[in-house]
Amino acid sequence: MAEPDDVRLVVSSDPQLLGLIRGVLQTWLEVLHLVPERRSEIVLAVDEACSNAIRHAYRGRADGRVELVLSRTDEWVEITVSDQGIPCPAECAEYRPLSRPAADEVTPGGLGVKLIYEVFDEVRFCPGTTRGNCVTMRLRRGGAAR
Amino acid sequence: MKVETFVTADETRVVVTGDVDLYSSPELRKAVLAAVPRAKGAVGVDLGGVSYMDSSGVATLVEGLRSAKEHDKAFALVAPSPAVLKVLELARLDSVFEVRPER
Repeated sequence: MAEPDDVRLVVSSDPQLLGLIRGVLQTWLEVLHLVPERRSEIVLAVDEACSNAIRHAYRGRADGRVELVLSRTDEWVEITVSDQGIPCPAECAEYRPLSRPAADEVTPGGLGVKLIYEVFDEVRFCPGTTRGNCVTMRLRRGGAAR
Repeated sequence: MKVETFVTADETRVVVTGDVDLYSSPELRKAVLAAVPRAKGAVGVDLGGVSYMDSSGVATLVEGLRSAKEHDKAFALVAPSPAVLKVLELARLDSVFEVRPER
């Protein structure tokens, strides 16, 4: 449900524009008075969600659309990222906890979704049946520290 | 993002500045994976000027580390910025890399 002070940002699925998304998000989080460390974690996790839309849903095509809705209540910060690309397979969105790997077990991929789960309190992926994906990420605003 | 590679007799240093994200990390990947096999000595990736790094940047560093192992070369992160340390810590990969705090 959109509230009057929600921010809605629609950007083409061009990786060159990820910096723009991060800038808007950074400013919005400053207005919410979140502490800088929290802000940088949220920017990272949301950037990962947008990168996934570009890389997987649009297969790197720059002519799709990535939409962000930034909303807040007294209790929650809620950010939704959606696309109209190819729905991701269910297992891609599954919760995968981060583990501390041994040096020779480290693999380069698959970190983005783990970081999203690491940063946010609630994460809901809803891939469409034929088209599109949507991920809603929520953070509880527990007092002045965050 | 800007990437420059400096080669000396005992070290090849890849110096990165700016934002490393899905857009820019392929260029870093190219530079790192080119530097490793050609290096005469150790490889250092200077991350002191990195203002932002995402998981594709982290994946690039992991690839560099793996390649260095294959080529039997030392591989270190040099003077990583707070943004880099943060994402490595969140990803639980902070102890995987050799980190040299000083340039």
